[in-house]
Amino acid sequence: MKIFKSIRWRLQIWYGLILVVVLAGFGFTAHQLERGRQLKDIDDELQHRIGVVATALWPSPPHEPNFAGQSFESPPPDRPKFDPSPGNDARRRPPQMPVKFQLPPRQAGFFDESDTNGFYYVVWNSDGKELARSTNAPAELPALSRALSSGPPSPQMRGVRREIFIIFPRGETILVGRSIAPELKELRLAALRLAAVGAGILLLGLAGGWWLAARAIRPIDDISATAVKISAGDLSQRINVAEAESELGQLAVVLNSTFARLEAAFAQQQQFTFDAAHELRTPVTVMLTQTQATLNRERSATEYRETVEACKRAAQRMRRLTESLLELARLDAGQEPLKRLKFDLSQTVRDCVELIRPLADERGVKIHCDLPAVDGHGDEERLAQVITNLLANAVQYNKANGEVRISTKLQGSMILLAVSDTGPGISSEDLPHVFERFYRADQSRSSGQTGLGLAISKAIVEAHGGTIEVSSKSGAGTTFTVVLPML
Amino acid sequence: MRILIVEDEPDLLRSLAQALREEGYAVDTANDGEDGLFKAEGYDYDAIVLDIMLPKLDGWELLKRLRETKKTPVLMLTARDQTRDRVKGLDTGADDYVVKPFDLPELFARLRALIRRSANKTTNVIEIGDVKIDTAARNVLLKEKPVELTAREYALVEFLALHRGEVVTRTQLYEHLFDENDSTLSNLLDVHVSNIRKKLGAEFITTRRGHGYCIEG
Repeated sequence: MKIFKSIRWRLQIWYGLILVVVLAGFGFTAHQLERGRQLKDIDDELQHRIGVVATALWPSPPHEPNFAGQSFESPPPDRPKFDPSPGNDARRRPPQMPVKFQLPPRQAGFFDESDTNGFYYVVWNSDGKELARSTNAPAELPALSRALSSGPPSPQMRGVRREIFIIFPRGETILVGRSIAPELKELRLAALRLAAVGAGILLLGLAGGWWLAARAIRPIDDISATAVKISAGDLSQRINVAEAESELGQLAVVLNSTFARLEAAFAQQQQFTFDAAHELRTPVTVMLTQTQATLNRERSATEYRETVEACKRAAQRMRRLTESLLELARLDAGQEPLKRLKFDLSQTVRDCVELIRPLADERGVKIHCDLPAVDGHGDEERLAQVITNLLANAVQYNKANGEVRISTKLQGSMILLAVSDTGPGISSEDLPHVFERFYRADQSRSSGQTGLGLAISKAIVEAHGGTIEVSSKSGAGTTFTVVLPML
Repeated sequence: MRILIVEDEPDLLRSLAQALREEGYAVDTANDGEDGLFKAEGYDYDAIVLDIMLPKLDGWELLKRLRETKKTPVLMLTARDQTRDRVKGLDTGADDYVVKPFDLPELFARLRALIRRSANKTTNVIEIGDVKIDTAARNVLLKEKPVELTAREYALVEFLALHRGEVVTRTQLYEHLFDENDSTLSNLLDVHVSNIRKKLGAEFITTRRGHGYCIEG
């Protein structure tokens, strides 16, 4: 069911249930208290009146002289007491019941027969013969038995009547009662009123709850609407963060920053793919143009050779590019875990320098080394690639007969490797971008570089947990510094 | 027709120049933006093939500066093919746009169209009396019969035909028919003109002494 999956509906249902339980509990308790209070009033009256009748029956009870003198307002609940224990029997036995009994007028007022206070009494002798009764006593009263009055006499409900009776040891019985039908009716009405008020409160509460739930859910709706737009491809969408201090506002802020990063990563990826395709186009164009131009007519062997060589150069460039792209993709994906070995870094640097020396000699560039014995930690082959790339750049972008310095040293738990040149330097405009993929300060492709060398170096260094930085002054050369942690 | 190619990829520049020369164009080359702008401002080229990604001065900037002084038709050559790049190129003042990698026949056709438009012609066929010049097929018919012309002779006929009714000076002809690598001999033009007259009729090209040549309208 969709309705049970909606947070709003579930909130509403729980809220409604709790409200119903609270209201019902409150209403029931109020009703019970009211009923108890009314019954107690009636019971007090009954106790009082039964005392009156008993006193009238035996004007001076021998063993309970102050029976009639008791305050009617608070008769002791156990009076008159029925005590079946034989030891007390003789002493407490009341005098013989008179054959004829008439309630004196003053006491009869308590059973105002004409009035509607509704109290009635019946007195039976030990034979079960009716001695006296008030006119408003119900014609038929169910038989009483001792079994009903185990323990001290207490008011009982018989039908809609509240009654109290005493069966004396010799069998005389006094019963005082009152129909409580009016009270019950009133209680029912009160209960109905309570129920109506409760229902009203419930409706108001539900409406309020619905409104509250709607308010609470609205940011979620905003968030999901935005998320839907984003999943549909519009990465520029953001959640409106109006209530940033609430929990949902904080969530929205977090989500927005996630979306921003997602968009940036997506844009970067798109730019990278675009640049990669772009870079591949140039060699493809060379090959297409070369072959089409050459095939236009018959050529000499030399011309064919030139074309084939140009195509070879283009193909080599594509190979370099695809290899670099593949390598970057692998580094990005974290595939091919790096070796974590200790190696002689100064020796590795020397090897790299020897590799670059022919290129340096060609340009008249001198390479100076400052290489104390330092151990490197990590993937020697990959780090050699970084060093070679930095050296090649330093030679390539140097002035004629310039200098390149490479040094390594330990600093705390870090290994520092610096390569500096005496070239024209990198402009402050280009400096922040040199590690970006395909970024070239001069936009030229003629150097045959892929534009990925520094990006790959950075990826390798970062995979080792290190950093690579560049500093440059226009006209005063450039320094690349690699910082690698020791394992 | 004289064309300038500004392109930094050496192999592409060389093969493009060679292919265009074989098409009968006089071709100058520049391998960076500064050199390209210098040459583009220095001559009245019939068209410029301009790469965008160039060292020193990129294609956009070159075009912007060139447009301050010259209306030379420019064909942009680039690997960037997103719509916004094309729009930017055309708005900056480029006359056409070719995306790398391209096919040479298409590039040639677009260059011909550029040159034709800049000469206010709508078709590739120019008819002058009995002579019919097809600038797409690069051939000339005299009374519906093909006439054999050398590349240079054809270029001369085409240039004069495109500027029909105007007097074209010898300097103009030198500038448009010979590129920076040609050693210009002062009497070379006269040789070509006399050869053309032999093939298409003496009346086809008129000589204006002291001014130049003309194909009457």
